[in-house]
Amino acid sequence: MSLSLSFCHISTNFRPPSPSIYKTLPLPPSYFPILRFPLISKSFTVQSTPIRPSPTDPSLPTSSDPQTFEQLPRKFQEIVKLFQSVQDPKAKYEQLLFYGKNLKSLDPQFKSDKNKVKGCVSQVWLRAYFDDSDKKTVVFEADSDALITKGLAALLVQGLSGSTVEEILRISPDFIVLLGLQQSLSPSRNNGFLNMFELMQKKALMLYVEAEKGIKSGTGIVENPTKDVDFDPKLEKGIDSSESRSNTDDSEPNGSILGNRGHRITEILKRELQPFELKVEDVSYEHAGHAGVRGSNGETHFNLKVVSKEFEGKSLVKRHRLIYSLLDNELQSGLHALSIEAKTPSEVGI
Amino acid sequence: MMTMEGVVLKLPSFTQLMNPNHFTNRTSLNLRFTFPKSSSSSTASLSVPAAAPVSLGHSTRHDFEILHQKVNNGSKLVYLDNAATSQKPSAVIDAVNNYYRSYNSNVHRGIHFLSARATDEYEMARRKVAAFINASESSEIVFTRNATEAINLVAYSWGMSNLQPKDEIVLTIAEHHSAIVPWQLLSEKTDAVLKFVSLTEDEVPDTKMLQELVSEKTKLVVVHHVSNMLASVLPINEIVQWAHDVGAKVLVDACQSVPHMVVDVQNLGVDFLVASSHKMCGPTGVGFLYGKSELLAAMPPFLGGGEMISDVFLDHSTYADPPSRFEAGTPAIGEAIGLGAAIDYLSEIGMQKIHDYEVDLANYLYESLRTVPGVRIYGPTPSATVHRAALCSFNVEGLHPTDIATFLDQQHGVAIRSGHHCAQPLHRYLGINASARASLYFYNTKEDVDDFVRGLIDTIDFFSSFK
Repeated sequence: MSLSLSFCHISTNFRPPSPSIYKTLPLPPSYFPILRFPLISKSFTVQSTPIRPSPTDPSLPTSSDPQTFEQLPRKFQEIVKLFQSVQDPKAKYEQLLFYGKNLKSLDPQFKSDKNKVKGCVSQVWLRAYFDDSDKKTVVFEADSDALITKGLAALLVQGLSGSTVEEILRISPDFIVLLGLQQSLSPSRNNGFLNMFELMQKKALMLYVEAEKGIKSGTGIVENPTKDVDFDPKLEKGIDSSESRSNTDDSEPNGSILGNRGHRITEILKRELQPFELKVEDVSYEHAGHAGVRGSNGETHFNLKVVSKEFEGKSLVKRHRLIYSLLDNELQSGLHALSIEAKTPSEVGI
Repeated sequence: MMTMEGVVLKLPSFTQLMNPNHFTNRTSLNLRFTFPKSSSSSTASLSVPAAAPVSLGHSTRHDFEILHQKVNNGSKLVYLDNAATSQKPSAVIDAVNNYYRSYNSNVHRGIHFLSARATDEYEMARRKVAAFINASESSEIVFTRNATEAINLVAYSWGMSNLQPKDEIVLTIAEHHSAIVPWQLLSEKTDAVLKFVSLTEDEVPDTKMLQELVSEKTKLVVVHHVSNMLASVLPINEIVQWAHDVGAKVLVDACQSVPHMVVDVQNLGVDFLVASSHKMCGPTGVGFLYGKSELLAAMPPFLGGGEMISDVFLDHSTYADPPSRFEAGTPAIGEAIGLGAAIDYLSEIGMQKIHDYEVDLANYLYESLRTVPGVRIYGPTPSATVHRAALCSFNVEGLHPTDIATFLDQQHGVAIRSGHHCAQPLHRYLGINASARASLYFYNTKEDVDDFVRGLIDTIDFFSSFK
């Protein structure tokens, strides 16, 4: 099993990420077997851990310092948490592919050369436009003919869509390392992920420049002066607050208040899995405001913890697939993402 | 002028004679492994047990430290990207190391001890290359940076002074970009015309079409010996015959053949032949052009500068004889010596033995891969008469090759390639954007193939069930 990601390390030589005391030598993982202890029970303990960059790593982006977890925009923090809660690398890929699956596909007319990301071995297209309602936040759309790159593009779309140009330009792509997908950040013409990210920033900037040109008013000040983005303004759009929480405060999630979907999920899982323990947590508010959620009735993102005998003999991937298949109807009707912890009774000591 | 004295198979290198204590030098490596090692000799000694027949892959593996590591999730490395570049045995690494530690010095110019030794070793490497492909003289070997540079050399030096407008160059659509683009650049300058041979239904270049395309207008035929994507082998003898009948020259891209089989330029009759060191267990940064003496003698220089001159005046210069004429500036001395060591290593095993092992392995790879549902392999089906190289380019229905390669790497430690393999025209012809490719070398084993196929099945499983 791979390491629990409570320490993160931006070294692209060393895989998986190692504690920073080993940062001076690129060593293969097998050399330090003592580090390999399965910390399955610690899956949700990852919080704000600062990233220590290795001074010897030449592949680090040198233009800006890597952002700490706290500095990341909330949407990226959420994505990071989601991935870090999944230990198994294969399940991480499943999570990534799941993102890709839910990515709205791009209209063929936008699959042009101008929108193509250079350097990907597969084909990736990106599109950016200003949100109709406020003309200030950028909406991204993306597509790819390969599933993994589609997943990566979906992550970026989820993280960046709905932000202002300024916010987009300030973000560093380092967060991807925290996901534990072993995605390299080395700037090379073949680094598809980095190229995707940079193209998104470039397109956002171009939107801004075009808008500048189009402005005829005499104030000359166009840039949004607010530094801290509140999700409140965006929350007004499209989220029916009658059934979901409209509180954008991302302190302790209150799992006891569930809407209709939350109840349905609970019923289905109870009925099908006879769980010893079941925790269904609606964390949709943490995603409130971004393009993928707009227009739905909230209840788009859930954390699930299920302890059931049904998981015995099944690999982690099979357990997740089982849950996905049980909740397929929900997934087709607006449930956006699940963060799943699936255990057998013996695994939690029952 | 050095003359050849028969075929040289294994020459005692100067390292052994002069510095017997320099064998176990491992401090240059960053990665430290504590795996049990049977031999620490730097020479190409194969510890094959006398009794039981051990496969070539098993018996040579311990010469390649780099293969004994774990990657990504702790999976052991299964390196199947040899068509892109090969791994180097300790003997080669030690040879380069030893050059820099003991006798590094510029060649051809100096008089002192180190320079004389460096020059001797460098020229010895040239003789080894000549012997390896059975050239008639070592002066027919020009050291270049790689095969690509060698082809460009011919394009500029021979092409510019021999091609007239409307002259034709015949190539196949399966050529590597390095064997296509230099001629495109040349045709822009000289108005020569490029003609391409397409594939038959068996997915091999259509030799009948090639024969028809070769006419009096043809001045040059450029073909691969072994295709890096189709795994097919071209009948070079026949092609040379057709070309010479009309007075055309033949350039063979032997990058995928020289490392894997006996290549004899006398037998083949080619006019030019190119190969890269890094695909044949040698270091990167060096390759060579073979050209018949009379052709090279008539060719003007490629790059100008030191080493390739005879006398330099302010208004003009005179040039050296080949091969020096085409080797401007300080060459990759250590690397060329490393190539020589690689040739020693390969020769000690024997190219025929390597080839026989790889034919067997190629069949095993092909047959194993074929059993995986949804897999579509490109190139000819192997048979008694059709031998494939030990590589398979393939696609899996409904899956992008990049997804396959990524997952195979991350989850199983299997290294294959995905993309167009520097053969975009070929991919376009086959109607695909990209393909995956697994390519083997003599240090791969059947177990490697098994690991690959197992990983591939798991990969397909993962992505299919996801959908």
